[in-house]
Amino acid sequence: MQTKREEINRMVQDVKSLPALPGIVVKLRALAESDAASLQIIARLISSDQILSAKVLKLVNSPFYGFPGRVSTVSNALILLGVNVVKALVLSSSIFDLMEENVVGLWEHSLGAGVAANIITKRLALPDGEEISTAALLHDIGKVIIKIKLKEEAERIRLKVDGGEVSIREAEKEVLDVDHAEIGGWLGKTWCLPEKLIEPIACHHDPVRSVTYADRTAVVHLSDILIKASGFGYSGDDLVPRIQEAAWKKLNLSDHVLREIVDEIEDKLIEVKNFSLEIQSSHEGKV
Amino acid sequence: MQNIPLILAAPGMTLAKAVMRPDSESRMPICGAGTALTELLIERLDQMGIASVLVEGHPVLIEGEKTPEAEIKALDHRFRQVCEDPLMIRLKEIYKDRLIRLSEEWHANEA
Ligand SMILES: [Fe+2]
Ligand SMILES: [Fe+2]
Repeated sequence: MQTKREEINRMVQDVKSLPALPGIVVKLRALAESDAASLQIIARLISSDQILSAKVLKLVNSPFYGFPGRVSTVSNALILLGVNVVKALVLSSSIFDLMEENVVGLWEHSLGAGVAANIITKRLALPDGEEISTAALLHDIGKVIIKIKLKEEAERIRLKVDGGEVSIREAEKEVLDVDHAEIGGWLGKTWCLPEKLIEPIACHHDPVRSVTYADRTAVVHLSDILIKASGFGYSGDDLVPRIQEAAWKKLNLSDHVLREIVDEIEDKLIEVKNFSLEIQSSHEGKV
Repeated sequence: MQNIPLILAAPGMTLAKAVMRPDSESRMPICGAGTALTELLIERLDQMGIASVLVEGHPVLIEGEKTPEAEIKALDHRFRQVCEDPLMIRLKEIYKDRLIRLSEEWHANEA
């Protein structure tokens, strides 16, 4: 008999079983897989879809990436962020779009984590800050899939969390035999995202398991915890998880630097909140 | 520092952060931190499509806005499962200190 875990793994591996993504996303995936696809071809493809390019540009210009100038074209976004990041943004904006109103909290939590990762990487002068921020933006994407594909189980998970001192992750393991982090990793594989995005997503709650991209994973791990500490958005429970010692050592932050990082994040979150409200009202405007 | 919708902005308040043009290519600042708001300036910001501003202190009571004291309570509650971990205690203190600072700003205005 197939275990619940295997069943979910199979479901996530089957692109067709996932919520229907816009055709353009499918094309984009095919294109990005072939090395031959040039930036221009990808840019032209995204630009051909007005709503999608608007979304990509909105995210690129959000407080989340914080470029000093405004990025006004998709080709510039591709040059600045790289194909991988833009591909992940296109996928995630489509997936986040599928979410119902009541998961605005998760969207805010995700955006907040992206902002936190951006600030931490800058402070630590880590390379590939944009890519790490994108991994942080996507870190809980597994929760979205649970919400839209496993509705009944999601309800049982919610009841467990509401009923006691259980984190959403513990509840997921009880109900599904797998947590959202691992599901997010499977999803990344199905979408052919690069391993450097997949590993931080899959290991964000257990960073010791991350071997190849341990630095990136440590940043995403801490970003998630800081946003939960701050109480910004809602990720499914209100418990701040413990910082794992190995990840903390890896980042090697003094209390003083941590304090500065927290202050910077908290100031930025005001802008993120405004951005999120703006996005929500533009959504309401569309309907 | 308080984030307020522009409709609640009033002359005499001071900007805590620069306001940027929302539409320009280069994110030009319209006016910098420390600028005192005037009737005219608020009108101009409105015409430019600015929806909210960050002002110094805590000049208005916004409905539904949590007091820093309530925020501190919520913070303690969020940390309830890790309140014995030394590193997490240090982290919580950082957030708490920030809220205490906000609380002082908030009450300075009441006086
Ligand atoms: Fe998570
Ligand atoms: Fe999270």
